Amino acid sequence: MLKIIKVTGNSLSPFFLSGDYVLVSTFPRSFKRLHADDSVVFTHPDYGLLIKHVRRNFLDSKKLEVIGSHKDSISSQKLGLIPYSDIIGKVIFHIKQSRLSN
Amino acid sequence: MLYKFIQALDRILPFPKAKAHCDIPCGIYDPITAQINALTVVRMMDLMAGLTEGDEKAKVDFHNSISRYIAVKEEHAEKAKHEIRVIWGDFIKDAHVEKYPELPTLVHKIMQLGSKCRQTADRDAGLAFVEAINRFAEIFWAIKDKKIKKANAPYAPGLEMVYPDL
Repeated sequence: MLKIIKVTGNSLSPFFLSGDYVLVSTFPRSFKRLHADDSVVFTHPDYGLLIKHVRRNFLDSKKLEVIGSHKDSISSQKLGLIPYSDIIGKVIFHIKQSRLSN
Repeated sequence: MLYKFIQALDRILPFPKAKAHCDIPCGIYDPITAQINALTVVRMMDLMAGLTEGDEKAKVDFHNSISRYIAVKEEHAEKAKHEIRVIWGDFIKDAHVEKYPELPTLVHKIMQLGSKCRQTADRDAGLAFVEAINRFAEIFWAIKDKKIKKANAPYAPGLEMVYPDL
């Protein structure tokens, strides 16, 4: 199944800017094929629905380590490992807003 | 094109929002973005007025140009409003409002003028929009304890702008 999700905030800038949209694939089977630099949307008990880059995929424990690309992004340590069960989907398409006005 | 389509869908049936928020506020606020956007609004109004003075209305090029000017005017008026809302919501604190009690009224005025600039091609509204945002910039830099200088923008429409004197 596919979902469209809107990005808010700039912790993944310059890759994703606030206001961009992403198309995510929600097939759980694809989660074990996630690897570094893939982008994922997931729910976090403290921070709600988040979008981050994958740093590492721990296949044995079925958990992801995720990071933002902005220096002030929430740290991986603070987020903890993300269980597959909290993953909404993998970003498969990025719908960018215009970076130029005219 | 695709983005505009998705954005229009989002307005009708809002999509879920995934946060890519910073852990701490980045602290980078500057009203210059809003000022430049407001200046662009006036520039578009001038270009629109200049175009309608000619005898080109029957030509497709006229409609093409005027559509582009309107689109940019719309976009930049909204961007200016957005930038002010961010500073108002994330930077301005109660103590600032106590010190500068005109702030709530000024921000509301900027929102209304921005909307008027979108709804019309009234240059006076554009000038008032620039002036109100300049006043907001003056207060912002006073809060930051930075001196300001006033100078005409080095590009059309060359209106007087408020800049930090660094």
